[in-house]
Amino acid sequence: MKAVAKCKNFFKGLPGKFRAVPGKLSARFAGAKEILTQGNGKVTASMLVMGLGQLLYKQWAKGIMYLFVQVAFIVYFILTGAYDLFGFFTLGLREGNAWYGIEGDNSVVMLIMGILAILIIIFYAAIYISNIKDVYRIQCAKDTLKNPVSFRQEAAALLDKSFHKTALALPVAGVCVFSIMPIVFMIFIAFTNYGGKVVPPALVSWVGLENFGKILTLGQFAPTFFKIFGWNMLWAVLSTAINYLAGLGLALLLNKACVKAKAIWRAFPILAYAIPGFITLLGFKFMFSYGGPINYYIKLAGGEAVGFLGLDAKWTARFIGLAVNAWISIPSTMLLATGILSNVNTDLYEAARVDGASAWKQFIKITLPYVLFATTPVLISQFIGNFNNFGIFYFLRGGLDMDGYFLASDTDLLINWLYRMSIDNNYYSIGAAISLIIFIITSIISLTVYVLSPSYKQEETFR
Amino acid sequence: MKRTLPALIGHVAIILAVIIVMGTLGVIASGVTAEGSEKFTGELERNVTLRILENDTAKEQGYLKELLDAFNREYSDYGIVAVDANMDQYTDLETGGPYGYGPDVLYQANDALMKYVDGTRKHILPIPVEELDCYEHISKNAWDAYKVTIDNQDFYCGVPVNIQQPLLYYRKDLLPENWQEKWDDDKNGVPDMIENWTDLYRYSQLIRQQSNGAKYGYMKSLNDGYFASGYFFSYGGYVFGGEDKKDTADIGFSKNDGYLGGKIIRQLASVMNLECTEDTITKNSYSRMAQGAYFATMTTPDVYTMFIKEMVYAGYTEEYARENLVMTNVPRLPVSGDLEDESQGFKDMTVMGGVNGYAISSYTKAPNAALAFVNFATSYKMINRRAELLGISPARGDLAHELGGLNADINANLVNGTIYVMPSVRALAQVWTPLQTFCAVLADDSLTGKNVYVTDDALKKGIANVDNQIYAAIHTLGGA
Amino acid sequence: MNEARAKVVKAKTKKVLNILITYCILIVVAFIFFFPCLWLILASFSKSGSIYSFDGFFPVEYGLDAFKTLFTDTVMYNYPQWFKNTLFIACMSCILGTVLTILTAYCMSRFRFKSRKAMMKTTLVLGMFPSFMGTIAVYLMMTQFNLINQHWGLILIYSAQAPMGYMVQKGFFDTIPYSIDEAARIDGASNFTVFVKFILPLSKPILVYTALTAFTWPWSDFILPKMLLIDRDYYTVAVGLMTLGETEFARFAAGSIFIAIPIIVLYFCLVKYMINGMAAGAVKE
Repeated sequence: MKAVAKCKNFFKGLPGKFRAVPGKLSARFAGAKEILTQGNGKVTASMLVMGLGQLLYKQWAKGIMYLFVQVAFIVYFILTGAYDLFGFFTLGLREGNAWYGIEGDNSVVMLIMGILAILIIIFYAAIYISNIKDVYRIQCAKDTLKNPVSFRQEAAALLDKSFHKTALALPVAGVCVFSIMPIVFMIFIAFTNYGGKVVPPALVSWVGLENFGKILTLGQFAPTFFKIFGWNMLWAVLSTAINYLAGLGLALLLNKACVKAKAIWRAFPILAYAIPGFITLLGFKFMFSYGGPINYYIKLAGGEAVGFLGLDAKWTARFIGLAVNAWISIPSTMLLATGILSNVNTDLYEAARVDGASAWKQFIKITLPYVLFATTPVLISQFIGNFNNFGIFYFLRGGLDMDGYFLASDTDLLINWLYRMSIDNNYYSIGAAISLIIFIITSIISLTVYVLSPSYKQEETFR
Repeated sequence: MKRTLPALIGHVAIILAVIIVMGTLGVIASGVTAEGSEKFTGELERNVTLRILENDTAKEQGYLKELLDAFNREYSDYGIVAVDANMDQYTDLETGGPYGYGPDVLYQANDALMKYVDGTRKHILPIPVEELDCYEHISKNAWDAYKVTIDNQDFYCGVPVNIQQPLLYYRKDLLPENWQEKWDDDKNGVPDMIENWTDLYRYSQLIRQQSNGAKYGYMKSLNDGYFASGYFFSYGGYVFGGEDKKDTADIGFSKNDGYLGGKIIRQLASVMNLECTEDTITKNSYSRMAQGAYFATMTTPDVYTMFIKEMVYAGYTEEYARENLVMTNVPRLPVSGDLEDESQGFKDMTVMGGVNGYAISSYTKAPNAALAFVNFATSYKMINRRAELLGISPARGDLAHELGGLNADINANLVNGTIYVMPSVRALAQVWTPLQTFCAVLADDSLTGKNVYVTDDALKKGIANVDNQIYAAIHTLGGA
Repeated sequence: MNEARAKVVKAKTKKVLNILITYCILIVVAFIFFFPCLWLILASFSKSGSIYSFDGFFPVEYGLDAFKTLFTDTVMYNYPQWFKNTLFIACMSCILGTVLTILTAYCMSRFRFKSRKAMMKTTLVLGMFPSFMGTIAVYLMMTQFNLINQHWGLILIYSAQAPMGYMVQKGFFDTIPYSIDEAARIDGASNFTVFVKFILPLSKPILVYTALTAFTWPWSDFILPKMLLIDRDYYTVAVGLMTLGETEFARFAAGSIFIAIPIIVLYFCLVKYMINGMAAGAVKE
């Protein structure tokens, strides 16, 4: 009920949020307008050539740095940038033929280098704006006869007031190039015909929404999609809940005062954690196979061999998947929970004990809210991780096409299905289109949960 | 505003001008069509290094080293050095090659190699095969595995080295003592159970019965599409139709009497256990054969040494192992398609096989030196040595006949068509999962007594469904 | 008297029972986690290479052959070299990745800037995109940067992607009271000093957690190195083990056990920081 009300509030708040947008925008433009109308000659100089105004104000270090950025940018564009940017739109014009040594354009590489060029332009624009703002700040300071902030002071601020800029520069750059770029690339791929026979050296071209049309008109697609999606959701919720609660429970158990030699006890799950996942999965697959040790003992005891992961083993296989996933994931949740628990204010417990609260009450009232608060984002990312858990069923029960499913088995998750349909088949563009659809659905769900969660709303609780 | 805005626009204009000018120049430059040229000029490049990708067994048994040493000695005057590429044997040339990370010469199976020449893909070079010493010694069928037709012109993109086909492995010492009287109806001195599937099936039943289920006769993972497809082929089924067996719109496991293959699979399952629905048997056959728990299995010739190794582990001498673990041509199938009915006689079984060979990467800097290497590696001397060390059956007819026995048989199989050469089409990858699932279903159906696929009609329907699934897997998303 | 004594006895039995149950659960848990590992360890001591010459979970015959061949037979499978490669990659990625992740998390927790909420939402959502779709792009980029078949290429990717998982660490920093920062800032410390001198010492548990995960990921990852490393002598252990033949199970098991050892050692070295990370009283206001 509470969640429903929260949802309602969220949607009620939406129109207000939209109404706020124009206000925010005009506030932004006001700043720009001010600079445009009030800026003096030196500001103009910086607008034309980056850093020139700063140099005229005798701010040498900064001026040279800005100037250097502009020069580097232009050199990059002369050398490859301009061609890369054009390549983004053309996706190559000359088809290669390796038999006769004719080097052609590689459409896919051109796409990615084009995205990189666009990223660089955005980055450059940001520096350009900061350049103008900076020179305008100097102007304002001079106008009011104050000393403008010196370079040294600004450098010092990078470790203090704007420490976050310094600290975040590298991580943001890294994430942009190695996490965001690939995703942007795949999103663009969804609008091309890349895949199947159209792979380099063949030239790829833009096809608009054709791939999405293809998916929507596929008769066999929808029933399988909903069947798999339903199981996928169930899987993600169940496995996240199991792993989280069991991990937390284990951490609490090991935190109990009466447990001696904690490090040793804790080492057992760590052992499981230390063995790479794919090895574990191969091991478990063998363990549950017809010829595996479990069936060996069943047969020894006079029983019939059981196909734990066999053709008809829909729910057994799903259950084994959950259990194996728990075996793999619980140790890391336990580690995390242990770390977080060590930070709980022990006074609270003492006070509770004085009040005569039972252990269960203490858990519900103190531990759980605290841990939940600290770990909601983790919970969401674990949910996402489980939702997109490729390895479990790929290793445990790969290579089956079930009746009633279109190229999938009854344990496959969406990601396995996607892999089977696109990567196995090389239909990258279709694969990208399907993953875009899945991506939109799942991200709406998880964003809503996240925005409504206490750790997002009441971030300031512990301040 | 008067001065600032023009300055801003000026800045943007300068940048835009740079982009447009340089971009257009680039586009114009790429519009100029480059002239290509034939790569095989016959003139050996000097002072080059060739990276050779061989298979693991060749490396393990020391053949690769011998080959490289011999070649390097021969061509030291030219400064040509061949080295081990030291990559995974299944390395996909398409991923690394175009970026300069592939080998120069590669040894892989024909389906893997011919994937590199498909549509606009031209990752391996067409080889002037007539110039090679081995050309006339290799049969047309073997060459055809590497043939590609573009604009009505035939190109050969690989050089056959050895022929791969499933063989029957059995333990000679596990034959019944009285086989000469009881199990040799045609009195040709060869036990019937390794000559035809009907007797192998009967013998398997007998072993299972006598040992109370502890021992088995013929054992093989029936879900393995590579081996199982042979039963379908033998009764007229096929993978892809068309003259060149590459028409992916025509999938034909159910065509002609293909469904009889399914019947055989069901019957064979009944003498095994449920492990035949997964890959367990394939993996454990080495040790189970060594322990005497299985009498026979079917697999490719390259794993012979693994069986011997396991038999030595099990306590036999290597001599005894080599004497009693026998590889032979696959048995003949009953014409009737029923293992319990031999009234109509027997016919040869068609099996899926392949031709492994050398190809030259399109991205090599020294195509002529690479060609010289391929010529050297496929010479009589080297292939002979290869057969000796690795136990392969050579594609060179002259050598196969000289070596005789099984080698000659396999060569003959390829020539007379009882080896169904793996189609060199990318879409082949889509065949396995549906086929594998259905074979497992058949075996399971027989062993658990569900008996859904007992009648011919049910079988026909089931296999036709597999064809449809494969068709869907290939064509639904591709649209082509 | 009697009643009081009964109460004491009752409390005592309850306590004993509590301990008993706790240990019972612990033993079961330990067994569940340990047993598959034990199986792997036993398998590595199997004399025969094949997993099928086992009686259920137990090898028929024991021997050290698997370990011997693992380290001496390096022509095909150069395990010692792979081990060195993996150690190098994992250590470097661990150091760089931890630094970047902690910095990101700290900033996201302590600073309020314009694009902050947008960044938080973006990073959350990005994880939803099926990762294998992006690997094509990563591969192509690495070919353009000339970083194929080089360990530094892998390290670059691992450490650059690590900050994506900053949420855990941010959650932890959020629970460190702001009063600590304020007190320090009143004393004239800069934000950098606050971070290094005051926050970091309080964050040992999460530092250990971050380092462990940043180490384990490259240590056991299979997909990236398989794609980016070509030369067999450059392989990591995970990739190398996957190329082992079918009948080499004992060797596979032995190799797997050796992968686990550094992580266990690391754990035992770091565990004390993890549990007693927050010195008593440091948090109290």
